[in-house]
Amino acid sequence: MNNQPKFVYVTYIRTTPEKLWQALTEPEFTRKYWCNTVQECEWKEGSPWRVMIPDGRVADSGKIVEIDPPRRLVLTWENQFREELKGEVTRLTYELERKSDSVKLTVIHEGGTPESKMVEAVSNGWPHILASLKSLLETGESLEGTRHWPEDDVCANKK
Amino acid sequence: MATPEFIYITYIHAPPERVWEALTQAEFTRQFWGGYQIQSDWKPGSPVSFVKPNGETDLKGEVLEVEPPRLLSYTFACQSRDGSVREDGTRVTFAISVEFGVTKLKITHEGFLPDSRVFTEVSQGWQAILSSLKTLLETGKPLPFTRR
Repeated sequence: MNNQPKFVYVTYIRTTPEKLWQALTEPEFTRKYWCNTVQECEWKEGSPWRVMIPDGRVADSGKIVEIDPPRRLVLTWENQFREELKGEVTRLTYELERKSDSVKLTVIHEGGTPESKMVEAVSNGWPHILASLKSLLETGESLEGTRHWPEDDVCANKK
Repeated sequence: MATPEFIYITYIHAPPERVWEALTQAEFTRQFWGGYQIQSDWKPGSPVSFVKPNGETDLKGEVLEVEPPRLLSYTFACQSRDGSVREDGTRVTFAISVEFGVTKLKITHEGFLPDSRVFTEVSQGWQAILSSLKTLLETGKPLPFTRR
């Protein structure tokens, strides 16, 4: 996997690893900062994983590769609703480390091909989603632009 | 050999002017930038001083571009935390804009040596500083471990 491009982002959030883990996985939270989507998953190694758009379409799907709450989550991720992105299996890793009264969250999204179109696509969205997650946990409110699934189907990105 | 470049984007629920203030006024930087008061008159060519809590001036740089509250860039010398390695002439650019109804802050830090021995540490420093900046502007308090 060494040639694959990857997106890496680190942010520190004033919260606990348990609360952050909850926010990363539970619908009550993801609806607020991840464009009103929910993840369907049993959260065990090997479990299938899907991100569901409010209208019933599947946004992304894959399966859980490693899960060690509240420290580490690794899953495979394939886009399902954009023709030009389908077929590329990417890999997402969340690492959570306690740091003082905050949590260091590392997000690593690795592409499935050397010219990964997915990494480029998600690189534009992740900073906005993660900023919204941070605002939600620290202030109680997510960022306005990430609360709804956008009409043009481009979640949190500028085209 | 490619030179490493650090790019980081975050979105902050505060007006662009407040983000600009936080980056350019010593009273703010002191709270989230590892205790440093960053001092300058912010005119192109002017010096930029990083003043430690004990009053010593640690690092220096020079203002390149200033377009408040949209664009700020300056050079500065980076140093490893233990002081053993120093690299002069790197360049940081802050671009502030509004997207999706929030303030977008993009930092580009470039001009490192191809085999830079400070780049990793500097990148890690930015991640903490910028996280704390967002927390300060949105909650009124920085992340405590960035006050040093």
